[in-house]
Amino acid sequence: MNAIAAALALLPALGAGLGMGLATAKAVEATARQPEASGKINAILLLGLALAESTAIYGFVIALILQSKV
Amino acid sequence: MSTASIIKLIVSAVAAVGFFIAKNYVKHKPDDSIEPKKKKKLNRLFFFGLVLSVWYFIACVINEISGGPNGIHVEFDLFSNRVSLFGFSVSQTTVTTWCIVAVITLLSLIFRLFVFPKFKDIPKGIQNVVEIMVEAADNFTSSQTHNLSPVLGEYIFSLALMIVGCAAVELFSVRPPTSDLIFTFSLGLVTFILINYFGIKKKGFGGRIKALASPNPIIMPMKILSDIAVPVSLACRLFGNMLGGMIVMDLLKTSLGGYAVGMTSLAGLYFNLFHPLIQAYIFIVLTLTFINEATE
Repeated sequence: MNAIAAALALLPALGAGLGMGLATAKAVEATARQPEASGKINAILLLGLALAESTAIYGFVIALILQSKV
Repeated sequence: MSTASIIKLIVSAVAAVGFFIAKNYVKHKPDDSIEPKKKKKLNRLFFFGLVLSVWYFIACVINEISGGPNGIHVEFDLFSNRVSLFGFSVSQTTVTTWCIVAVITLLSLIFRLFVFPKFKDIPKGIQNVVEIMVEAADNFTSSQTHNLSPVLGEYIFSLALMIVGCAAVELFSVRPPTSDLIFTFSLGLVTFILINYFGIKKKGFGGRIKALASPNPIIMPMKILSDIAVPVSLACRLFGNMLGGMIVMDLLKTSLGGYAVGMTSLAGLYFNLFHPLIQAYIFIVLTLTFINEATE
């Protein structure tokens, strides 16, 4: 049962991928609208992507804990 | 040493020598017989062939010595293994952290005793680099927390040095301290203590409790929970990212056998240099954001 639980713990990565794709789409649109601000947009985009990825990382950590029988 | 491996070694060695001779021949030939664009293309092709055959030669030699790629077989523990030091049972991350702190202290002592007395009023050289780093840390901290405290900028600088040191240690194939949940949880705990310290110093103990009950006292349990979730989420984010990078690098090293000669360096450019720096930046920005939020 631990294996099934560990595999199910990685489903939230779906939400993470969707969110990061939408954020990148908006960032590309903003850069196309005003190319001079692309440095600032890049910095904000990296920050937002790393934050949105953290829910997928939580699922990964839970899967690791379940798999190693701690 | 089977005949197949000997044939592989001899063919790759002969190909390497042949590409090298062809490249020199094309470079030193009189210019009228080949036009320059085709010469450049031929030069590039021979260089590519030379690199490929030298890589294959080294990979076959390593495969001969160590017995070829054995399947995907990586095992890791969630917590790092414990060593015994004078009768105490100490985990490996503690020893690694001591070594990193010793190296950083040694470097700063060398800087303080030999480089700093030679500073001039108009900076040049190493003085420029040091001033840029210190000013960047101070200005970043002041701009994010609206000039809260000068001590905070120094703490952020040493925190950044620590996480960069952990990324550098991973290059030597030692398990980095940031891939241990206990180490990152300690860093998150320090952030939690800093948030509460600055919050209580600025607003008083009653003010901090009042901020927890701010729009409506009914949501106070949820706000307390989200305050506790801050260090836990910081710790889990750093731990998960670093452990994932370490697992990918271990898979690359152990499952390819001799063929992983150049690939670990190329993959290490991302997983051991770029990714830890981005995660360190995220950690620092989130720490400053939460401190700013508690002292507004």
